[in-house]
Amino acid sequence: MEHIKNGILDYLKDNSFMERGAVLKDSDSLTQNGIIDSIGLLELIDYICETYSIEIPEDMLTPENFDSLQGITDLITRLAK
Amino acid sequence: MRGMKIDAYITEHARKTPHQTALEEGKKSISYSRLDEDISIIASSLTDFEHCRFAILAESGTQYIKILMAVYRSGNIAIPLPIELPGLSLERILDAACINNIIATRKQYLRFGDGFFERFGTVIVVSDDNVVETRSKRVILERNNPELKLVLYTSGTTGTPKGVMLSNKNLVSNARSIIEVLSITPEDKAALVISPHHAFGNSIINSHLIAGGSIHTGTMNFIDPVFNLIESGVSIFYGVPSTYRILLRYPERFKKAFTNVRTAASAGGAMDRAIVRSIRELSPGTQILPMYGQTEATARLAYLPAEYVDEFIDTIGKAIPGVTLDVFDSENRPVEPDVTGELVARGDNILLGYLNDEDATEKRVINGWLHTGDLAQKLPGGYIRLLGRKDDLIKIGDHRVNPREIEKEIEKNSEVSSVFVVPVTHELMGNAISLMVIPNQGTEIDAIFAFCRKNLPGYLYPREILFIDHLPLSENGKISNRSIIEEYQHVKASM
Repeated sequence: MEHIKNGILDYLKDNSFMERGAVLKDSDSLTQNGIIDSIGLLELIDYICETYSIEIPEDMLTPENFDSLQGITDLITRLAK
Repeated sequence: MRGMKIDAYITEHARKTPHQTALEEGKKSISYSRLDEDISIIASSLTDFEHCRFAILAESGTQYIKILMAVYRSGNIAIPLPIELPGLSLERILDAACINNIIATRKQYLRFGDGFFERFGTVIVVSDDNVVETRSKRVILERNNPELKLVLYTSGTTGTPKGVMLSNKNLVSNARSIIEVLSITPEDKAALVISPHHAFGNSIINSHLIAGGSIHTGTMNFIDPVFNLIESGVSIFYGVPSTYRILLRYPERFKKAFTNVRTAASAGGAMDRAIVRSIRELSPGTQILPMYGQTEATARLAYLPAEYVDEFIDTIGKAIPGVTLDVFDSENRPVEPDVTGELVARGDNILLGYLNDEDATEKRVINGWLHTGDLAQKLPGGYIRLLGRKDDLIKIGDHRVNPREIEKEIEKNSEVSSVFVVPVTHELMGNAISLMVIPNQGTEIDAIFAFCRKNLPGYLYPREILFIDHLPLSENGKISNRSIIEEYQHVKASM
């Protein structure tokens, strides 16, 4: 779990979505805190699909699954099994 | 009906069809009578102000529309802030427009924090249950254009923001033209998933509320909720080309969601054949209706009638009712068909002027004709073909941006010698930008990327940054979009 979470955090920092030193709580909203917009989110989804070799059906593209580090981590954990 | 105020149409519908749904957001909906009451509640907090400018800081949704209409109803002037812009760009708009008063939703108040609001004399916060809290109040007399109702910002990302001043006549006449072109009725339900703070989104609000129909608001952030929204009975879907590109990534779901959508309307950029073909294939019963416009024309200037989409997809179509389009030469004389000149427009929808910028207004509106800055040719039947810009403005992710201003902004704030913005194709946005940089000793690519992410909106985040060692000059020694693109192609070819 921590491994996946850190992977997503690294992606966000490597692509300058957030600053290196910035702190993001597991449940913080990515869209409402201005970290990511709709295009950025689609790019993140592409990155996740490729990195974890998973497919994400569109009915899973919801705020519950994609608006926070925790949501994304849980989703990947579930789908990567 | 001509002189009727936008918000008065809502009162009229509240009287005639009180139970008709006006707005939907998620699973919640409100009727016209409820909307009308809520607007009055918010407006009652503004009665001490007489024709003053009010910034609105609200996310897309029912609350935003109520606040906007409340500012109108109280006789004040609305200045919606594009909340997708970084804080710095918003501050630039606020400074340029000298705004003393602001209304924010509770959500945005908490997001921006107390410090952001200290600059305002008046701060009003509206919570989800319509509790209106005046946190501070200082009424300052303002002298504004007596017709002024709304100021929309066309840029402001970088450089000097330009505030387009619009009147009630502008808003109502353009909404009426749009109602006619799209045959909007009270039975129609619109999907508003693009930003309501800009001309296109604003025109959806006005035309559907004047027609007495309903609007379902949402955002494009998460795909499943967007498709759910469309499947809730939307009859007219509005999107910029990138909206359609994003949705078309999920063809099966698109097919299901658009079965009952009668019209797929677009504006904000050119629909290409690939998008049209995909929509046709997946939802043959949906009429495709591309439109063209500018904030300076309130929203719409031209439309492409659905039956001519295939034949004229490479044109912007013809003028909407109430608008006259022509093509002028550099002496402001109409040119013959098939001769290139500047597209000009007149009608009741042409802006009052730019806020606090008479020079810019005089350059854009000459003898009542709005000079669009778009190069164009007249075709038979009143159709108009665009051939690029007169200036160097480019469309990035369906936003009109000035590359020279972006370059200056990055140069001023980064360790670089020079920066050049290159428009490059992007799968979803149509166009994105890359940068070519002449470095100096302190240049770090990561620092430039980080600066862009923090200070520019997402659609301007560079796809790549290339180092070059000389200026991208044209043969006659000038720098333009063309010379920059040529240099870029040259650099890429030699990589």
